[in-house]
Amino acid sequence: MANSIAIIKDVSYKYPRSVNFVLSEVNLEVVQGEYLGLIGPTGAGKSTLCLALNGIVPQFYGGRFFGSIHVAGLDTLEHPISTFATHVGQVFEDPVTQLISTSVENEIAFALENLKVSREEIMDRIPKALAAVRLEGMEHKHPHELSGGQKQRLAIAAAIAVQPDLLVFDEPTSQLDPVGAEEVFRTAYELNKELGMTIVMASHSAEEMAAYTDRIALMSEGKIVALGTPEEIYSDTEMLIEHEVRPPQVARTFYYIKKGGQAVPEIPVTMDKALPLLKKINKTSGYSLIDLPSPPVMVGEPLLSVKDLQHVYPDGTKAIHDVSLEIREGEYVLIIGQNGAGKSTLVKHFLKLLDPTKGVVCVEGTSTVDLEVSEIARRIGYVAQNPDNQIFNTTVSEEISFALKNLDYPEEEVISRTLEALQSMGLEEVKDMHPLALPKGDRARLVIAAILAMQPEIIIFDEPTTGQDYRGARYILDISKKLHQMGKTVIVITHHLYLMPDYAERVVVMGKGTILMDSDIRSVYHQTELLKSTFLTPPQSVHMAQMMQQEDPSFQALLTPEELAASLTQQATGSES
Amino acid sequence: MVDKKPKGEERKIVFLEKVAIDGAPIAYIIVLAAVVVALSFFPMSAILVSGGSFPMSQGVLGLVGWILGPIAGAVSSGIGTLIGIFLAPHTAGPIPAVRVLGSMIASFAAGTMIFREDRKGWWFWIWLLAFLSFLYFIGRAIFLNGVGIWPVIAGTFIDWSSILLFLLPTRNLVSRWIKSDNKALVASGLALGTWIVYGLTHVISSAFYYHLYNWPEVQWYALIPLIPFENVLRAAIGVVIGGGVITGLRAIGLVKPDNAIY
Repeated sequence: MANSIAIIKDVSYKYPRSVNFVLSEVNLEVVQGEYLGLIGPTGAGKSTLCLALNGIVPQFYGGRFFGSIHVAGLDTLEHPISTFATHVGQVFEDPVTQLISTSVENEIAFALENLKVSREEIMDRIPKALAAVRLEGMEHKHPHELSGGQKQRLAIAAAIAVQPDLLVFDEPTSQLDPVGAEEVFRTAYELNKELGMTIVMASHSAEEMAAYTDRIALMSEGKIVALGTPEEIYSDTEMLIEHEVRPPQVARTFYYIKKGGQAVPEIPVTMDKALPLLKKINKTSGYSLIDLPSPPVMVGEPLLSVKDLQHVYPDGTKAIHDVSLEIREGEYVLIIGQNGAGKSTLVKHFLKLLDPTKGVVCVEGTSTVDLEVSEIARRIGYVAQNPDNQIFNTTVSEEISFALKNLDYPEEEVISRTLEALQSMGLEEVKDMHPLALPKGDRARLVIAAILAMQPEIIIFDEPTTGQDYRGARYILDISKKLHQMGKTVIVITHHLYLMPDYAERVVVMGKGTILMDSDIRSVYHQTELLKSTFLTPPQSVHMAQMMQQEDPSFQALLTPEELAASLTQQATGSES
Repeated sequence: MVDKKPKGEERKIVFLEKVAIDGAPIAYIIVLAAVVVALSFFPMSAILVSGGSFPMSQGVLGLVGWILGPIAGAVSSGIGTLIGIFLAPHTAGPIPAVRVLGSMIASFAAGTMIFREDRKGWWFWIWLLAFLSFLYFIGRAIFLNGVGIWPVIAGTFIDWSSILLFLLPTRNLVSRWIKSDNKALVASGLALGTWIVYGLTHVISSAFYYHLYNWPEVQWYALIPLIPFENVLRAAIGVVIGGGVITGLRAIGLVKPDNAIY
């Protein structure tokens, strides 16, 4: 292919301790100036391929490598990694792990200083890099003062200041709220279109990938199984389902509409193409009213409650103020809000990991002031955002049994509960492995297994879907649903709103440390302006339903592609047609 | 997923990066130096002779050598200890330079436990230095300061036991145990190895200190139980931290430094 910046030829790769090939006979050319998307389930080989583009794989990791990768004409096995630092910029999943300096401008200068770029040149490049990611005026700020999206944009600025030929993003938005994620995708798009920078983006964010990329490579089990335009890839819903990849909600909606018997000339993958088609279908066939579940009414004494809660961190940050909330037994509550809205601070009060600056927190009617942390830990299980922060044992089964042993459970009970937790999470086969040797999705399941072994009444999942692919996220949420059906009280914090309609009943929206709304999921998801005020965007299906409501106010407040498709494919029942 | 012979030609993998010391990537050296710095903050026990405390980092000096090899290990420990002295002066000891030198010796000695044909004599020079230091130390105590022979023998237990164990095949046994897949053997190797390498450092450092302080016989009696107790603590730290680090490194499968023993 002409003007290829990267040529990957017959590449197979195996990590030193992996049994199978992580990359298997991969052939791909990245064209100069294109925006290439890499999609696929966790374990498909996307991250390994990204790391191979600057020689980190295999030079740093070792293992067995077959074939060749040429980037900017250089063989990645014949030149040191530092040579590729000038050709390939990398932006990883967690912005915090990439930022090491004490000011924004120092952060950008760091890589340049290491590459011995002259002082004058560095001073010249800093404002250009900041302008490219719209961070002008923040030169002297500490990186930790920036929002999640801004931090990731700073990481991008540091990468582009080196003026690489190729900018590689590996899941850069999984830790960000939807607006932060949108900022990163838009920034990459602008760098591509305005500066002509070649972009490789590995991501699970189907909606954004469909909107911004030129081409998409679908990876599965180390192979590239499909390569084409976003329309070609994302409209082939059955292929995506086969490889456990989530299509954009737009594509899924039209896939179901087509399956329901409606004539759909082509499956659109972006909102702008979907809306005219929806209008057309509505005009020709009409819609019907479908049965929607009514929101549950919870009665009884609250299991968890906070009254007039305020929390001020030692540095003076007012994280929560005047929050009052009651959660009853058997509820499934979703807490949403932008990064820094106070969600995690709130739930840490339930666990007594934080003490209120003002106000009262009660667990089963008893103030947490009168409870020990260990007592609360028996009743409330907390699955933290980053599973690695909760893992410290050397085998999977030791990790699960650790808390039980420390709470002096009899040995037989420790063994039986550990076994039960291993089975329920499908971890029996890896019970003797080191937790860090497991993929991230399995590490998250391990943490959940350790919590389940404690048999708590309440389980809090703090961003459980971060870093998970669609299959992994659904797997964890299905567990939460199972627990809920068993009568447990479940609280989930997540930014991935599109995942939650099948699970959550009640939604608490937080913004700037207060509760902005507390209602059933359907009502909350359709408050798009309110969600926007806390940097959240509802799923595409909600937007589509609202667009239909603008056409016809009696159109229902639908939440999911399945509901939309059902409404547009069933026989009309008294609605306009 | 296929596991047959792939289509492309198999390539020889070489770590081409120049930013490595003696085959250990600079990133590893920095990370382990940072660990030494962090552990410098934690005092573990009072050392009566010098009026200070020994830092927890002394328990991982051997580990640094087993992971990075003798040269990179000594560099990493030296940098970590030097920074630790400034950031945690409460554990810096009476003569910080001796602390830095001692940490480098411990990691170097640990690193020489690997078998390499071209380096098979390296261990001897560190052993010789320790042995000569021991002779000077006890000679000065017995012949110049008139300390009784039994308090000297008991008070230098960790010194002469380490010199002996480093000379005997136990030196190779330690490296074999650390290399083992059996966790109990790894832990034993870490415990015995930490005892030995810090014992060597102790005797060399003690020669310096004794030259300056010449502590009297009564103090030797007080040190008899204290010094081995402290070395047992170092060995325990080596086992707890080293066991976790080695198991983790093996599990993650990151590229091994050329002279790593684990």
